[in-house]
Amino acid sequence: MSKPHVVIIGAGFTGVATAHDLALRGCDVTVIERGDICNGTSGRTHGLLHSGGRYAVKDQESAIECIDENLILRKIVPQAIEPNGGLFIALNDSDLAYGEAFIEGCEACHIPIEQLTPAQTLKLEPNLNPQLLLAFLIPDGTFDPLRLALAFAATAKSNGARFRTFVEARRLLTDGSGNVTGVEVLDRAAGSPEELRADIVVNATGAWAGEIAKMAGGDVPVNPTPGVMVAYDQRFVQRAINRLNVPGDGDIIVPQRRMVVVGTTSFDVDNLDYVPVVDDQIQMMLERGSELVPGIRGAKMRGAFMATRPLIGGGSGRSMARTFKCYDHKETQGIDGFVTITGGKATTMRAMAETTADVVCSKLGISSPCVTREMQLLSYRQYYSTPN
Amino acid sequence: MSAIRWDVTFVVYRAKGDEASHFDTFKLSIDPDEYVLDGVEKIWAFEDRSLCFRHACHHSTCGACGMRVNGVEKLTCITLIRDVTQDGGTLKIEPLRNFPVVSDLVVDMGSLYLRMDEVHARPVVPVPEAEIEKSPKEWPPDDYEYLRLSDCIECGLCMSACPISATSPTYLGPAVLAGAQQNGLSRNPSLLEIVDAENGVWRCHSAYECTAVCPSYVDPARRIMDLRRQVVSERLKRLFNRPKPKIAAVQEANR
Amino acid sequence: MNTSKNQPSPSRLLNWFNPRGRSLEGMAFILNRITALGLTLYLFLHLIVLGTLARGESAYDSFIELVHNPVYIFGEFLVVAAGLIHGFNGLRIFFTSLGIAVPRQKAMLYVLMAIALVASLIFGLRMFTA
Repeated sequence: MSKPHVVIIGAGFTGVATAHDLALRGCDVTVIERGDICNGTSGRTHGLLHSGGRYAVKDQESAIECIDENLILRKIVPQAIEPNGGLFIALNDSDLAYGEAFIEGCEACHIPIEQLTPAQTLKLEPNLNPQLLLAFLIPDGTFDPLRLALAFAATAKSNGARFRTFVEARRLLTDGSGNVTGVEVLDRAAGSPEELRADIVVNATGAWAGEIAKMAGGDVPVNPTPGVMVAYDQRFVQRAINRLNVPGDGDIIVPQRRMVVVGTTSFDVDNLDYVPVVDDQIQMMLERGSELVPGIRGAKMRGAFMATRPLIGGGSGRSMARTFKCYDHKETQGIDGFVTITGGKATTMRAMAETTADVVCSKLGISSPCVTREMQLLSYRQYYSTPN
Repeated sequence: MSAIRWDVTFVVYRAKGDEASHFDTFKLSIDPDEYVLDGVEKIWAFEDRSLCFRHACHHSTCGACGMRVNGVEKLTCITLIRDVTQDGGTLKIEPLRNFPVVSDLVVDMGSLYLRMDEVHARPVVPVPEAEIEKSPKEWPPDDYEYLRLSDCIECGLCMSACPISATSPTYLGPAVLAGAQQNGLSRNPSLLEIVDAENGVWRCHSAYECTAVCPSYVDPARRIMDLRRQVVSERLKRLFNRPKPKIAAVQEANR
Repeated sequence: MNTSKNQPSPSRLLNWFNPRGRSLEGMAFILNRITALGLTLYLFLHLIVLGTLARGESAYDSFIELVHNPVYIFGEFLVVAAGLIHGFNGLRIFFTSLGIAVPRQKAMLYVLMAIALVASLIFGLRMFTA
């Protein structure tokens, strides 16, 4: 019996991780992506491997997802991770007050934290604001976005998945009853159209999930929410630095190679395909970043860009949950053969894939369990060892 | 974005399928403090959706957006428009050299990635071993506790700029030799046969173009020269085949 | 895939001599190759000239008469300059190839090329005023 064919639209974190999971469970997987791997939001993450501390007070579902997946990713893909931990820093009384809720929240979410005095903190990170009042050590980390995704893709490819990059979904093919049977694509590199038949089409396009769902006459409550990131040309700290406050703008600093990246903001946008950087927001990152690491004020700016998060649900910006959701359109809109996964964070990519693969496999009648928690990923460079 | 706008003409290399390549011209009104990659992205978003280009992180960590801008290799996400042209100027955008063109500005860098694996280039290294400017002895011992992603982002700019890589498909190339150097022959003696070979370390002709274009502080030329020193030292050791004297063994253990 | 385009191949050798977009050391690379070709050409010519000795003194003497022509003197000046440039740049390549003073190779380049330039001028002056 031949394997069921699943087409995944989108080669960001969710797409590659889902391909990895489904390939191991016995599906024939084709991933299509209009650009190259991590072409959209996934590439542009600042790379914070969340410990969940940021969400431990207001969004505990996300916090628990983060700490669990943080530990898994450290095990299965160390090749793309700077595993140096992180700090939550209190600079004023308001921060200190938040600290109480922070401790309780982290305990509730089984996130290990260690409280440090200013002296201890400055010994670990001499470039921090010397006026800091308190710090908590937590297991944050930094990851390289493209290499993290390539590692999943490399492993999926070695298990038979196909990655067709520069292939854009134009239309979803349907049968007489509106169920999805495949995708009409344009091979952008060759300039030629093609039809791909599929048993299930997975919409893993993140911020663009709403646009793709519309192609099937479906709907998902995705709220694309961009934010700015600014990179500075000096590795001021070895660990991720977070402000000990209610999640806000410019309160994360992530070291990566010889830079630090400060992020982020939250606002609405119309055109997802090109979000220009706003100067005021760069200035805000400079101000807020300098509060935590004073040296940032004098540092050379290396780059600035916008990244559009796919947030789910009602509300806006900071108040929306960071969790993920998999929509089986048969249940939501009566459209079979079509599944959307969106929301979430880079840190929870493997869990998002597991949930999606569970839904897909149950629709296909496949009973293989998920094995991605323990499976070491191949070297990300092996993505290129097999031609497509 | 600020209010300043420059009129810049982008002349972009295009190639699809088996057709002959050509250049398309796009006139953009663009903020000079935006990056060349932003310009390319604008062209795709607003002028020509058939343009293929590669980008991911937009902050010089993924190495995907390397292109030639006015003939010089650049990482376009960190190359400001104002640094490469002026108001009313022209930017010629071409793909990197020495890699097969997939489409338009996208090249297939598979050979670079696979060679990096052949020399076991380490993507994550202890912080003191990451920088060539400072020897590991100069770092406080605690810094060995920290790991970081190595400087090389495998962007291919050096491979494109190297004149030897232009004429030889089998020359390992600056990035690969730099990766081998960082690994070190003493840590990985099996590398000796790979780098001390016709297509290895001796094929470099000291053009130093690789270091000139590297956006990530790797300094491949310096690493190649250091690798030569390692090769000579390793060969001499093997020639005389002397067992390590006691003092040297103790020093090794204490490092 | 456009596999025929952009591939490395020995046929792109002329590309070595393209100065556009090159760094300073890249220019030195080009100069080293041009001077090498020039010196090799000179070696052949020199051997051919020496061969005229076989035809006896008068044949050789008439050639030496020819060489007092300023065009020839300029050509010989170029040879001297080429030798100096190639030699001094070669010193830089020699040292750095063994891993000596690599971080200062750019400074070495400036200094050695300055020496080559000055020496060439001195030789040139002597050759044209002798």
